[in-house]
Amino acid sequence: MTKELDLTDIQGNIIKAYGAYNYQKARYLFLRINDGNKGRKFVAAITTKVTTAISWDKSGAGPAVEKPMATTNIAFTYVGLKALELPTASLRGFPEDFMMGMAKRKDILGDDGPSAPENWDPIWKERVHIWMSINAQNTEALIERYNWVVQQVEASGGGVTLLTGHRGDAGEDDLPYQEASVLYDEAGNPTPKEHFGYTDGIGDPVFEGQTNIAARVLGRGKLMRDGSWAPLAAGEFLLGHVDEAMEYPKTSPSPMLLARNGTYMVYRKLHENVGTFNRFLDEQSKSFPGSKEMLAAKFAGRWRDNGAPIVKAPDDASKAEWDKAFEAADFAGQKRMLTDFTYNDDIHGAKCPYSAHLRRINPRGSLEYGVTGAYETPGALVNRRRILRRGLPYGSVKDASRDDGNHGIIFMALNADIQRQFEFVQQQWINYANDFKEGNDKEVLLGNHDASHPGKVVLQVEPGSGKPPHFINNIPRLVETRGGDYFFIPSITALKLIAAGMIDPT
Amino acid sequence: MATKSGNATALTVLSPIKNGAIGETSFADITRERCLRLPIHEQSPLVKVPNTYLARLFILDDVFYESLPANDSIFNFSDITSIFSDSARKKALPRKDHLKSKYLVFSSNFHGDLDAYLTGMWEKWSYTDHQGIQRDVRHIWEHCVAFDKVSDCAGFIAYIKKCQLEASLFFNGSTDDSLQEQLKALYLKQEFTQFAMAHQGKSAAEIQQNFKAFIARVQPDNLTAPTWPPGKSTP
Repeated sequence: MTKELDLTDIQGNIIKAYGAYNYQKARYLFLRINDGNKGRKFVAAITTKVTTAISWDKSGAGPAVEKPMATTNIAFTYVGLKALELPTASLRGFPEDFMMGMAKRKDILGDDGPSAPENWDPIWKERVHIWMSINAQNTEALIERYNWVVQQVEASGGGVTLLTGHRGDAGEDDLPYQEASVLYDEAGNPTPKEHFGYTDGIGDPVFEGQTNIAARVLGRGKLMRDGSWAPLAAGEFLLGHVDEAMEYPKTSPSPMLLARNGTYMVYRKLHENVGTFNRFLDEQSKSFPGSKEMLAAKFAGRWRDNGAPIVKAPDDASKAEWDKAFEAADFAGQKRMLTDFTYNDDIHGAKCPYSAHLRRINPRGSLEYGVTGAYETPGALVNRRRILRRGLPYGSVKDASRDDGNHGIIFMALNADIQRQFEFVQQQWINYANDFKEGNDKEVLLGNHDASHPGKVVLQVEPGSGKPPHFINNIPRLVETRGGDYFFIPSITALKLIAAGMIDPT
Repeated sequence: MATKSGNATALTVLSPIKNGAIGETSFADITRERCLRLPIHEQSPLVKVPNTYLARLFILDDVFYESLPANDSIFNFSDITSIFSDSARKKALPRKDHLKSKYLVFSSNFHGDLDAYLTGMWEKWSYTDHQGIQRDVRHIWEHCVAFDKVSDCAGFIAYIKKCQLEASLFFNGSTDDSLQEQLKALYLKQEFTQFAMAHQGKSAAEIQQNFKAFIARVQPDNLTAPTWPPGKSTP
């Protein structure tokens, strides 16, 4: 039979991007465990309200529940699991990246200069043990669930402390939670935008065992030799399942019950330098042979207004055509237009530059460089570098000419192997470009551009077109890291075992 | 001969280090420390040795035991040895072997011929060590067997050739040009990229005029200057 995931055992945030389910508001909480026994009791209490991945669609065939007004999920740092007194034999089984935590991986991640850990929000000076998320359909539900968590903290009798030290909209730097929210348009409607104006969160990976795969896998699974798309192996995103190498992930701690249906999460608070971005885009568009919006699309690989992939709409004229077809398409057709594409007709990057965000984080089949059969499948070099992306924007832009407001993205990357997946993409594909034959050009938007040696990227043109390639130079640091860490998201079973102090590695 | 690939040469040298010690530190460990303390990047003595593409020095303490071959083929002899007694299986394992000496290993990929390169090593290799003392190439090889008999360049060349291993599968990861040409090409590529960015969108006349000035400044035919300094790793 085909693979089915144990959706009631998997935390909901692994399978669902809550923002896409009308959860417009979120709070991220970080806690410290002061006492192992009391800490485990706190985990037990929280586990009763942890949101699973069970379906909210009662019209479907499988089990389903009513969609809640608020969700709750929980994850732990390595020191957090130690504070919960997991057996040493289990702790030793965790991978080195997770044990070290994000701050100590700064050289790999390129978190230098303004992104260096000494410049992070005050909370990251604390010992962070627990991450919790509350996503809610409205502010009332958000506050209600938050208050419930605070009650559990109080009931722990000093066993856990809700840490303060988040920066806020009014200049605070001691908030007990990180607030996040979708951005709203002028009419007050929620949008899928972030603060640079790009449409975010299109095209997360699709993997085995998920529901409704046939409709979602196009452009989001792995590209096969015959041009079809297949779901990625579940083990790329969930421990205890076979991965793309036909192996169980090597990052699993023992026992299997602790690992299975869990995964690793990278939490990053990314500040967006909105003023610098706007000035940079204005300045660069003066010499660019195309509209300002087209240039913005070259940076991201998607047009800002509706997320149209630039490889399908490479200039202003073809974008107008694409928009017409998009308007005429039904919902499923629109989804497909946004995700179902390859770079097969764009070997030279003349449409979607190799340094565009989209092409860097998921090159699809383009690392074959047009050499059919270079690898077993066109996506062979990509399939083990995929990440599930979660998160929401935070803050608001009050002055679009300034950088120092409270605005950015809470970004979470979920994967079975942080080093092989997230860290590789960050180090090799965002901050370096050897795989893309672009020397050390960094990705435009997320690259850790260095003010003392400003970066450049090349917007290629079709060979023989007679046009010169276009250079984007003096790229400033557009996005800065403001904090984060590496977390383990256990399954519901593992949460219960951790809470009961019953993890037995033998 | 596989030691050469085009104009590039692969040099692998294994020089036996004297057994014994000065006080409680073995000659091998003294040599190892000298290798580890060599300055790197622009300060490396190899920067001064002409035409070095890539070189490394290390101490070979012993040969590695190869263990059993991995069972990744369809048929593997070790797969069926389990039907024999344990002693029979152990006899089928690869033999263990050891070196009589520790070796100083020097491997280098360089442009040109061996004699010219070794002459460069003898004449140009110099650096200031961590104690501020000026050193030449003899300092690294000092405790190797019979190196005390080396007193001139011809003797050094003869010594190294005696210690030389033939390369069997030489893959030259560089181009076939001299190091000077390669460094000049790297410099020109970087400078030209800057020029192209600075003149984007300008008129043909202006570009042409400035290009002349650019060529006068970067002097493409002058391999010695201006250029990218050997050993330099960051802009």
